[in-house]
Amino acid sequence: MDITLLHRPGNTAARLTLAAGETCTAEAGAMIAMSGNMDIETTTHQKGKGGLLKAMKRMLGGESLFLNHFTPKDGEGDLILGTTLAGDMMTFNLDNESLIVQGGSFLCCEHGIDVDMGWQGFKSIVSGESIFWLNLKGKGQVVLSSFGAIYPVEVDGEYIVDTGHIVAFNETLDFTITKAGSSWLHSFLGGEGLVCKFRGKGTVWCQSHNPVSFGWALSSGLKARKA
Amino acid sequence: MQAEIKGGSAFSYVEIDLEPGESVITESDAMSSMDARLELKAILNGGFWRALLRKFLGGETFFVSRFSNQTDSKARLTIVQPTPGEVKCEELNGGSLFLQPGAFLACEETVSLGLQWAGLVSWIAGEGLFRLVVSGQGKVWYGAYGALLTREIDGEFIVDSGHLVAYDPTIKLRLQLAAGLFSSFFGGEGLVTRVQGKGRVVIQTRSIGGLTSWVNPKLY
Repeated sequence: MDITLLHRPGNTAARLTLAAGETCTAEAGAMIAMSGNMDIETTTHQKGKGGLLKAMKRMLGGESLFLNHFTPKDGEGDLILGTTLAGDMMTFNLDNESLIVQGGSFLCCEHGIDVDMGWQGFKSIVSGESIFWLNLKGKGQVVLSSFGAIYPVEVDGEYIVDTGHIVAFNETLDFTITKAGSSWLHSFLGGEGLVCKFRGKGTVWCQSHNPVSFGWALSSGLKARKA
Repeated sequence: MQAEIKGGSAFSYVEIDLEPGESVITESDAMSSMDARLELKAILNGGFWRALLRKFLGGETFFVSRFSNQTDSKARLTIVQPTPGEVKCEELNGGSLFLQPGAFLACEETVSLGLQWAGLVSWIAGEGLFRLVVSGQGKVWYGAYGALLTREIDGEFIVDSGHLVAYDPTIKLRLQLAAGLFSSFFGGEGLVTRVQGKGRVVIQTRSIGGLTSWVNPKLY
């Protein structure tokens, strides 16, 4: 799979060139354009490994149920993917390791990678902000998207990231959901609420902007929905 | 204190390295990531009544956050505004600057935040009854939705309502129709703000109000 990121960072789209027989797994709804010879299979899990129970579990997690698998027939094919929110993208090469990805940041990956939707590391406390998590495992390329710019933070010791700003992080990192600073009261009054504290050695990729905060900024100017 | 604005004009965010003993004030919920050793304290935005006024009239939050480095080495804090857009840094040297509601992002501790009556003209123009005044010594970060344009004016200049972000205290606001009655209302410009005086005006290339009024008719 050959990946080119176009129009970074404001209006990024990913152009993927798939060789004959290659399959790319993408988030449902991400396709902007593709070659006419592209075959799409929609499943509830990794291609060929569908399971209704797993799909139900993900649906309960408030997450889109479907993944699309693109495979070109007869020769190679092009696929262009994009996201709803404006922002940057990054590619990541997994080498038999594991990467934890914030659900909204997952764009696509090569077929050899296992997309585990059942990762419950943060438990329900964070799903309050309707965030779900994916555990990507295996060998191959991954494309992640973000709201705004992406910056890596090399953690060596302890580092805090607001939950709405996490794109992905190495599995080598330990984390807890906690407060910013030493006081719960000040963390809440300061508008930070719950944050994620990472421990150990590894990298966290952060998105510069928080989709939830933007949603709030926008919604104060919107009229009420008619019942 | 070392600070750098990154992310370009579309996605500005600010990386601040605090030396031991230093601190910085930010608006509520501005932190995106930080060194876990930094201390966060929510403080009233300048006394109870002033904080209350600032919340309801100045479009700012009741509390502001004070991040301080009480360790013995440098620690990093990354902050951002809720909407994508550009952030600018202004170094105050005893002077002051007017900020429109919502534009304030952060400042050094030596800068004081005040609220001032902006007048009915400002309110009718959709710019709020009050405006935030930052004054003193030190850096202030402010921003908006869209990119920021700075314009030196001497005389008068017309700005569409909702696009003003910051201006020097030497500038006065006036309200007027963009053109004749017909083109003002049918040409989509409506009321505009006439700024008068000698000094700088900072305007945003887009406005959240413009986006929401585009979305609103599409909701059902």
